[in-house]
Amino acid sequence: MKPLAPISNKARVALGILFFVLFFAVWGYATLGGYVSKTFLASPLTMIEEGWLLLTKHGFLLDIGITIWRVLGGFVLAALVAVPVGILMGAYKPIEAFLEPFISFARYLPASAFIPLLILWAGLGELQKLLVIFIGSVFQIVLMVAITVAAVRRDLIEAALTLGARDRGILARVLIPASAPDIAESLRLVLGWAWTYVIVAELIGSSSGIGHMIIDSQALLATGQIIFGIIVIGIIGLISDFLFKGANQRLFPWSFG
Amino acid sequence: MRRGLPTRALEPIDLKIADNDFVTIIGPSGCGKSTLLRLVAGLDQPTTGRILLNGKPVSAPGPDRGMVFQSYTLFPWLSVADNIAFGLREKGVPARERAKIVDEWLANVGLADFAQHYPKQLSGGMQQRTAIARALANDPAILLLDEPFGALDNQTRALMQELLLGIWERERKTVLFVTHDIEEAIFLASRVLVMTARPGRIKADVIIDLPHPRHYTIKTSSVFSALKARLTEEIRAEAIVAATALSPSS
Repeated sequence: MKPLAPISNKARVALGILFFVLFFAVWGYATLGGYVSKTFLASPLTMIEEGWLLLTKHGFLLDIGITIWRVLGGFVLAALVAVPVGILMGAYKPIEAFLEPFISFARYLPASAFIPLLILWAGLGELQKLLVIFIGSVFQIVLMVAITVAAVRRDLIEAALTLGARDRGILARVLIPASAPDIAESLRLVLGWAWTYVIVAELIGSSSGIGHMIIDSQALLATGQIIFGIIVIGIIGLISDFLFKGANQRLFPWSFG
Repeated sequence: MRRGLPTRALEPIDLKIADNDFVTIIGPSGCGKSTLLRLVAGLDQPTTGRILLNGKPVSAPGPDRGMVFQSYTLFPWLSVADNIAFGLREKGVPARERAKIVDEWLANVGLADFAQHYPKQLSGGMQQRTAIARALANDPAILLLDEPFGALDNQTRALMQELLLGIWERERKTVLFVTHDIEEAIFLASRVLVMTARPGRIKADVIIDLPHPRHYTIKTSSVFSALKARLTEEIRAEAIVAATALSPSS
């Protein structure tokens, strides 16, 4: 291996798959070989079996659907608020000076710590779940968008000025289009984090969703189900990331690829 | 200018540029020649003194002073055609007329076949051709160029000089062109200004009386060589000053 030397696409895919194979092999060896107690860790086979039962007998698909809706709902709400605020913050220094200290502080407030408060305010319904994700995402998006917009190349702005662009033109036709691909990439990143918030929200005071299934399974010592739930989250995350990436590449052909 | 004393980039300069002149400015690096251009563009403000364009003071950037930068400043999200149309759009020129002007300039810089390409698909020379077209499509009173061919290889650079000169011979725009390449300065100019090491002052003002249209073969003529020898001497003394000065160059 040489530093930074490229590898073929085939080798890349093969190596990527190899890790999953090894992972399952070690897991299978530890559980099926009897080195780890079944009570604490189900074998891959049990996991698949229990997962199948969940999907066919216990309506787990509905839980998956509900969780996806919560993630997307909370995330879209956060993006609708945060992207415009972030753009204004990045573009106008007084707005930045006004909001940045508070948002930098709010960003470190863990969304999960708000759950008890949100239950008091919004009850146990959907609104509370959406709010957890909203709080977890909105401050992150604002800051990332603001940084992206503020980092737009100065010389592009100067070029636009010498072409007669005024304040509105600089904002609408230079700052926003120039930062759009990076904003989309930030959103993709935050969507990934939103998944962790939704599960936490569902672990507490919920009667549906993937997180609810996981906490139920704990009571039943059904580790196979728990692991299946976790893997489902991972797979959905992978798919959404893939779709998001694809959409970005189609929306911004001038920037990617 | 944080900490320490602000750097004095330019000495007071009293300079008049006539209409339709092609003025090139050469000087050692850090002599403030780019600063001078940025002052005219309105991107920087002078601490003292004024800049007048057709008798009116310059206070901010505007479309009457087109600028081409050394760095590639095409808008990466716009096609070549949309880049050229940018200033016209800001001005509110109707779409039809815009398209007509854009087509003209695409042809003028030989990029008609690349109208729908994105900047990243173009070579450096093509990007700078687009940048020149973008600035001129706006029909500015003066065109400012800050080492626009500085990042190009020698062959491309020579072709770009001929292209720009050809455009100037047709359009007779007033041009202010900063470079550190003596040959480029002479070949393009009707007047060459030599600046001193920082803080920059104008040291020599040389009229270039070579005939138009100029052909690239003129670069090997004896008149050209004599001018080159003279300007080389002027610049060399300043380069030595600049190289031995303690202050870091900008």
